[in-house]
Amino acid sequence: MAILIDENTRVLVQGATGSVGSFQTQIMQEYGTKIVAGVTPGKGGRKLHGILIYDLVEEAVQGQQVDAVISFVPARFAKDAAIEVIGSGIRLLVLTAEGIPEQDVLIVLRYAAIKGATVLGPDTPGVISPGKCKLGVHPHTMFMGGPVGIVSKSGSLSYEVGRVLTKNGVGQSTVVGIGGGPIWGLSQEAVLEMFEKDPETEVIVLLGEVGGRQEHDAARFISQYMNKPVIALIVGRTAPEGAQMGHAGAIIEGEEGTAASKIAALEKAGAMIAKSSLDIPELIKKIGA
Amino acid sequence: MRLLEFQAKRLLAEKGISVPKGVLITSPEDLQRVSFPTVLKAQVPVGGRGKAGVIKRLEQAEEASSVVYEMLASTVKGHPVEALMAEEPVEVCTQLYVAYLIDKQVNMPLLMVSSAGGIDIEEVAKRTPERIIKKYIDPAVGVQDYAIRSLAKALEIKDVRAFADLILKICAIFQEKDATLIEINPLALPPNGQVALDAKILLDDKAAYRHQELFDDLEAEQKQLERRTKSRAEELSEKGQINYVPLGGDIGMIADGAGTGMITLDMIHDAGGKPANFCEMGGMANAENMQRTMEVVLSNDHVKVLIISLIGGLTRMDEMAEGIVQYLKDNDQSVPIVIRMCGTKSEAGIPMLRESGVDAYEDLATIVQIAVEKAKEL
Repeated sequence: MAILIDENTRVLVQGATGSVGSFQTQIMQEYGTKIVAGVTPGKGGRKLHGILIYDLVEEAVQGQQVDAVISFVPARFAKDAAIEVIGSGIRLLVLTAEGIPEQDVLIVLRYAAIKGATVLGPDTPGVISPGKCKLGVHPHTMFMGGPVGIVSKSGSLSYEVGRVLTKNGVGQSTVVGIGGGPIWGLSQEAVLEMFEKDPETEVIVLLGEVGGRQEHDAARFISQYMNKPVIALIVGRTAPEGAQMGHAGAIIEGEEGTAASKIAALEKAGAMIAKSSLDIPELIKKIGA
Repeated sequence: MRLLEFQAKRLLAEKGISVPKGVLITSPEDLQRVSFPTVLKAQVPVGGRGKAGVIKRLEQAEEASSVVYEMLASTVKGHPVEALMAEEPVEVCTQLYVAYLIDKQVNMPLLMVSSAGGIDIEEVAKRTPERIIKKYIDPAVGVQDYAIRSLAKALEIKDVRAFADLILKICAIFQEKDATLIEINPLALPPNGQVALDAKILLDDKAAYRHQELFDDLEAEQKQLERRTKSRAEELSEKGQINYVPLGGDIGMIADGAGTGMITLDMIHDAGGKPANFCEMGGMANAENMQRTMEVVLSNDHVKVLIISLIGGLTRMDEMAEGIVQYLKDNDQSVPIVIRMCGTKSEAGIPMLRESGVDAYEDLATIVQIAVEKAKEL
């Protein structure tokens, strides 16, 4: 099981021949991800690590099943590329690009909603179901299979928590990076719902940060709909108002964006609060998962 | 990018939206071009200026010089006032609130209007939210006439055609210039037509490449008005496009991810230390980025210890180590450096550091503890 991706997911890499795309394609393939095609306009007909490259997505999906796309297309061209993927009927798109103009993202997400596609990102490290499939850029040695589902805005924080858990012998079902914002396709709330339904996931770790109000929506969802235990770690407790803390979405504008208000809301909703990554294995032990 | 009021109004006027006649004032001499009565408004990138007392109506020239001096010497919410607008007063019967923005909860553009425009709009939103009327604009179809007619009806606007014209112009600016927010508050409905008395516009920096000239001009204009002297670290970080936030403490911090950067700061804080800054290099950092970033963070004289917190995903640790080693070769090591390194290619990076006599740890808590202790000793 796991969520979003598993050992049967058939993957297309968009922007596969660029330096990052090519390097990451090889690593994903070595990890065991079933990569069935690559797309780069103008590079059709070539082969990369044994994968056939096409000029267009519509050519790549002809005569073969494609379940998911990971896009390494740069921000300036990301809208066109994303619409091409969604238009071809593929149901899951991972948008790694950082810095896509907000109005472009709105159009992509709206089109995805119309076509029933799921967009992860933008500015996401992707998603990994350890031991099964990796659709992203994670340092995968930090992860191993197990019962903990992780949803994180930050890529690096999910690596940090994955590493601490793995070191303590606690594996993960799926690790989802939703991206640095300020606009998100798949939300924390949507991922929590998937984990709640996933029989392999027993505990969920929610990794949030300052800025926006997603964590408040997540808190509402936890209190109303979730039976599985949730551990939350919200970073940026020391962030000053108005400063951009790395991510485009990590900026405190108003009370709801502060770490303190998010922590309070999550605690009230019944989530266990971790102060740092090191607390998380302890809390999981307490739950007895 | 947040535009100053006079810049925002210029964008509106270029599109044919009425704004009061105004003169930009940076010294009392500029008053020669002003006719009285006039309204002086401080040009600072924050709201609540009316309540802060930096919007003043002047009836005649006599008192004007001293008022301008005083206003230019003042500070609003940490922003020194660098310039004023002197505007022709507009006779107002009705004040509307009109805004077009991206609602990030539902990922759609949103038109918001209210007949309770003016300085208390935030109170109105809190106490009587029903007085703020919202209309989502589906990006798949854009703004349609009926949506505007619906808002006009709710506001009991008589001249619907003029109102529709204004809304369509706002939506056009929003789209053409890649704005993320256009707010006119108040929009005056005086006897002779609609006038935007105040305007706030945010442009999307991520779309700057589509409007390079406009962004460059607006930025140059804002820089020219800036008197506050920046620290060397701030200057270097701006030049190198490095995400740097000064925090006032003595432990410098560099991270290769936003999330690990923030958790490192939180852990420093919890261990009783005081971070000097937040600094994140981003996922695509290479050796040269690392060198430049170290230059930025260490140009702050208050830094007693530097923490480098690395967890390689996209960033390669061999390249990070190369940058650190090169920086140490080129510069005298002024403060102790504590490094956390793990992830992609760390098996190559850690030996490179050790060879040049720098130790790297795998555990985040360890380096935080070492750094906080060292900062206290020094």
